Amino acid sequence: MRRIKTAFFILVFVIVGGFLHYVLPQHDIVRITSTEVIRTDFNWLNRPFYAQADSGASELATRDLRLINTEKRRTWLLGFFPRDSTRVMVYRNEDTGWIWPPYFKFDSSDLQAQAAANVSTNANPQWAVLTHYGWRNKYLSIYPNAIGIRPVEGPDVTVIPWFNIVFFFFLAIAWGFLRAVWRQFRERTIDPTMDDIEEQWDTVGHHLSERRGRFRRWLDTWRAKK
Amino acid sequence: MGFVRLTIVGLIVMTAAYFLISIYSRSVRREKLEKRWAAEHPGATDMAARAAYVEKGMAEYHASLRPKLILLVYVIPVIVVAAIHIVTTYY
Repeated sequence: MRRIKTAFFILVFVIVGGFLHYVLPQHDIVRITSTEVIRTDFNWLNRPFYAQADSGASELATRDLRLINTEKRRTWLLGFFPRDSTRVMVYRNEDTGWIWPPYFKFDSSDLQAQAAANVSTNANPQWAVLTHYGWRNKYLSIYPNAIGIRPVEGPDVTVIPWFNIVFFFFLAIAWGFLRAVWRQFRERTIDPTMDDIEEQWDTVGHHLSERRGRFRRWLDTWRAKK
Repeated sequence: MGFVRLTIVGLIVMTAAYFLISIYSRSVRREKLEKRWAAEHPGATDMAARAAYVEKGMAEYHASLRPKLILLVYVIPVIVVAAIHIVTTYY
């Protein structure tokens, strides 16, 4: 039982962590090498990793996709520790519109123009901080979606992820609040009801209260172990 | 179309949050009043007086600013959405 529980929590952690890693913004230090547009035919497997059609366009099975080709500075550990080497990275550039993920991005054309304006050569590099979300996967043909480009002096800039700091802070508050709500609900609503039921059952027969104990024990499995 | 969907889903979620927070806030206030009564009247058994004390406190709570602050759950998400949109689009 304990092992199943541990496995369950690891699974939940991986799913939630992967989801947040996909959706939350990350900053890459890149040198933009070119921009291009390719036609894409989605399939059922990679369709969820693309946004819907641009905000002003209609949804078709096939459409053009803006890409930004870059050389990206490698990092260790989710971008916290920069390395000296670089690798190529391709970003897509799509409107997220009003839907999902909630970046409310409508300016992919402008962003593409900005990317083109910052194209540079290896000999005379122009580095930029590129904010994006999403994953690159070669087998699924999916790309992270670029959100913003900010030209910087050199490749050694420190980027503080303010949004993510605030986000996790509020996530912790929301979690604490939901726990408090659940505790209050238990204490004020479930437990008194259970006590009433127990009193009634006591007059009917002792064996019935056994059930309430079982339900209570089940409820206790949701509680943090002391 | 996307905007309509966002508005509808947002309203549903914010309304659910509003009711959750309201019920929780009332429950916490009621518990606090009951405990205050118990502290001020140790050993009292007059349940009618206790109920009157709690109801009076709840009426004061409903008249106060606090429950109205919960309406901020409708305001803050709109501000956050506007802020994210402005930051992504214009910066």
